[in-house]
Amino acid sequence: MYSMEKIAAEIKESARDLISGKRVDLVIGYEKGSLALRSRPCFVSSVEDAGKLVWNSLCTNNLSVYLPRYVQKGPQKRKEDVKPVRVGIVAKGCDVRSIVGLVKEKQISRENVVIIRVPCRGVIDRAKVETQLKGNEVNEYKEDSSEILHLTTVAGEEKTFSKEQFLADACLECELAEPEDVDIRISGTAKQTFPNRYERVREFEAKSREERWQHFKKEISKCIRCNACRQACPNCFCKSCFAEQGKPRWVGAGTDLSNTMFYHIGRIFHQAGRCVECDACVRACPMGIDLRLFTQKMVKDVAEAFGYIAGLSAEEKPPLCEFGDADGQGLITTL
Amino acid sequence: MNSGDPVNPYLPRPVTIKKTAIENEAGDIKTFDLVFCNREDEEKFKFQCGQFAMLSMPGAGESPIGIASSPLDEGLVQFTVKRYPTGAVTSALHSLEEGSRIGLRGPFGNSYPMKEMEGKNVIIVGGGFAFTTLRSTILYMLHKKNRSKYNDITVIYGARSPGELIYKSELAKWEKQSGIEMVITVDRGDETWKGREGFVPTVVKDVSPSPEDAFVLVCGPPIMLKFTMLPLLELGFSPDRIITSLERRMSCGIGKCGRCNVGNKYVCKDGPVFSFKQIQELPEGIF
Amino acid sequence: MEQGIIKKADAGELIAVLGGKYIVYGPVKDDEGVSLSKVGDGEDITFEYSNFNLSPKGLFFPQSEVIYTYDDSVEAKESLPEERFIVFGIRPCDASALLRLDEVYKKSSPEDPYYIRRRENAVIISMACKKPCQTCFCTSVGEGPAAKAGADVIAFDLDDSLFLEACTKKGEQLLDIWSKLLQEPDSAVLESKQRQAASANGKVYALNSEGITQKLQKKFESPIWKEISQRCLSCGACTFICPTCHCFGINDEPCGSKNRRVRCWDACMFKEFGGEASGHNPRGMIDQRLRQRIMHKFLYTAENFGDVFCVGCGRCINRCPVNIDIREIITEGTQ
Repeated sequence: MYSMEKIAAEIKESARDLISGKRVDLVIGYEKGSLALRSRPCFVSSVEDAGKLVWNSLCTNNLSVYLPRYVQKGPQKRKEDVKPVRVGIVAKGCDVRSIVGLVKEKQISRENVVIIRVPCRGVIDRAKVETQLKGNEVNEYKEDSSEILHLTTVAGEEKTFSKEQFLADACLECELAEPEDVDIRISGTAKQTFPNRYERVREFEAKSREERWQHFKKEISKCIRCNACRQACPNCFCKSCFAEQGKPRWVGAGTDLSNTMFYHIGRIFHQAGRCVECDACVRACPMGIDLRLFTQKMVKDVAEAFGYIAGLSAEEKPPLCEFGDADGQGLITTL
Repeated sequence: MNSGDPVNPYLPRPVTIKKTAIENEAGDIKTFDLVFCNREDEEKFKFQCGQFAMLSMPGAGESPIGIASSPLDEGLVQFTVKRYPTGAVTSALHSLEEGSRIGLRGPFGNSYPMKEMEGKNVIIVGGGFAFTTLRSTILYMLHKKNRSKYNDITVIYGARSPGELIYKSELAKWEKQSGIEMVITVDRGDETWKGREGFVPTVVKDVSPSPEDAFVLVCGPPIMLKFTMLPLLELGFSPDRIITSLERRMSCGIGKCGRCNVGNKYVCKDGPVFSFKQIQELPEGIF
Repeated sequence: MEQGIIKKADAGELIAVLGGKYIVYGPVKDDEGVSLSKVGDGEDITFEYSNFNLSPKGLFFPQSEVIYTYDDSVEAKESLPEERFIVFGIRPCDASALLRLDEVYKKSSPEDPYYIRRRENAVIISMACKKPCQTCFCTSVGEGPAAKAGADVIAFDLDDSLFLEACTKKGEQLLDIWSKLLQEPDSAVLESKQRQAASANGKVYALNSEGITQKLQKKFESPIWKEISQRCLSCGACTFICPTCHCFGINDEPCGSKNRRVRCWDACMFKEFGGEASGHNPRGMIDQRLRQRIMHKFLYTAENFGDVFCVGCGRCINRCPVNIDIREIITEGTQ
């Protein structure tokens, strides 16, 4: 039994309590989107607005990307003039790990964040629904407490599906482990097992070097350099991204394959030891590039070499910031 | 390209750096004298006071710079450029020696209202390094062909310190010249400075130029512009007689790339010269 | 020839008779769905699609384009495009969008030689829409699913046949080349075409956009910009997939011993778009950039060229990672 309405009601109540009790200035959650298969980020600062909050399997955004904005001061503002904004945030398991990562990297301070952890059982990939329905658009989405989707098409047909067949790949390969340190636990059981962790990466690793190169080239050629992946990623908070610097210019702005590859290789490698596989980059990409394969490979390498999963504990030192006797030697190459 | 095709506005024309001169004590403001490599390019480059051109540095990029020489100067075009540590183009330009080749595209933009200013008093207010196109204007007006077209010319020019004043030799020359009144000031003097001290907006209030039958051209950093507008308006200058030159990041210089778009205007094409009245009509604050 | 009809199965003959003089771009099935790609012999053309992910503006205003190369002598060597090509199957909204780009690149002096050469070299065959998407709103911005603006020829998908109607002299000349393969349409065909156009027209989502340009003049200080920019990621995806957005940057990209000047797409949504060397950034906050994009699209361009720069294709609504819906902004803007 997994009732969206019950969870949403609890989220609303928590938000109301936090706001009326003046424990936070703002709650970031999800609201109904403008299309049947969209929920979207929602910023609630009054008790009345808390009624807008929803919870369903369309809540795909990683909201922690917004947290550093509430720490930054605007231009012409002195540090002393900025009162810290306290933010409540609705977070799925992967999102909580993102928040912990931001705390660890000193982008936000833990005491100004109230983590409302929601029991996530996976979110839907819209593209899979579109493929299944062969171009018939969805007019209405409903999900019952047995996780059965009831979709009504524009043509008026009602179709039912089990949520399982539309789950995002990221959810089918979910890390599952979550940090303990959250402030509010919404009742319900998160998904306990997804068996396919790293399966796709292993398949890819088993291919020949030429095949892997061709696949990488093919995927990356689709890139139009819109930067959506970077902007959606909570870990990409650099004030001046390496891809934008002019002196020296590390990478050009165009879609020369070498430029595009350097951009993605740079960005993905900057995620080593930090990526929580929240899928924000994949979901933001307008060209449908298979970024997951590459970021997940990074996550797997770090897990195997250092036994480290990003975002489980704010105290644990990132693997690239220190060394230990147990560290794997496999990543060191000798000439 | 076929001869029947229109000129490609993106192509820079080759020019040689004939001379460089450091303008300020800090050494990061230099004037470059440029000479066209091709005769036809020189002939096509007819510009007016207030316009700018794109200085094109191979390997670094392009930068929009106001033209500092008078339109009546023959054989060369002058630009005064400040080197910004973060600027790839200005840094590359400053490292070049006389004889080097760079590219030049232009002239672009609109110009100061030289025709409307005829028969009127002209007050010129400049701050710091933003005096380049004003120099072009002063040289043009003082030329014997033109001087009689304008009435009184007053120049109020200030910099942060004496070392930061640019065009020092010309300033000295104009101070001794009749037909132009020079008021030079610095924010803070040094041991040798015997002249006036005070911020440009304050000096404008002190000098108190009359708005009657007058135009005022103001150029300076955004903060100076903001604080100079107030005394000018209080003195009674009407907003369409206060003329300034805006700056924005530019890429194409021809009103296409969108960088310099403010409201329905492109600073590179509808500007950079705007009256204060036009600026008041722009949706975004420009300061 | 002004109009003609041909069986879809024979469409390949239309390409064959061109004798290789034109490159043909058309709707081709690939891994992602259907994209506007180079067509081979016509066997690969599909008619099952709503719209392409990317707009066709890239064929005239490419994402990256080397506008000239130069060596140390600073003699620039430009490379103007020479190929002649046919663009087949773009939707009427996208064809009309090209007229907006014409305003900026062709009609505004000085002319852009690269864009103009491509426009001269191309023939546009648009494909009228049978079934608009939920996200389409072309009729609310002066466009329509069977509108002819921007097309040299407009095609109608009449199940097993293709009806072609010339809209310009260039279109007539192309149909002349095909005259032996096309039959004269009878009245049944013409009626069928009319019915399809009327039906599609009636299905497009209609919103009140009346007076948007005038009303936006007063909306500069509206709270809507801050409200919506709360969730905006400032990513630029909307700008890059938009058929009318046209900002660019010119960058130096050395290549071996040569220097190249490359023109690449840019977006006013990017933070560093207006960033000056002095460090000053007139639009450093997201709400300022969002407002600039909307104002430029619906107000400033309308003031300068007489037309809003939105054709209602709905791509931005589909692809925005945080479901910013431009229809909601228009609705708010007209109040």
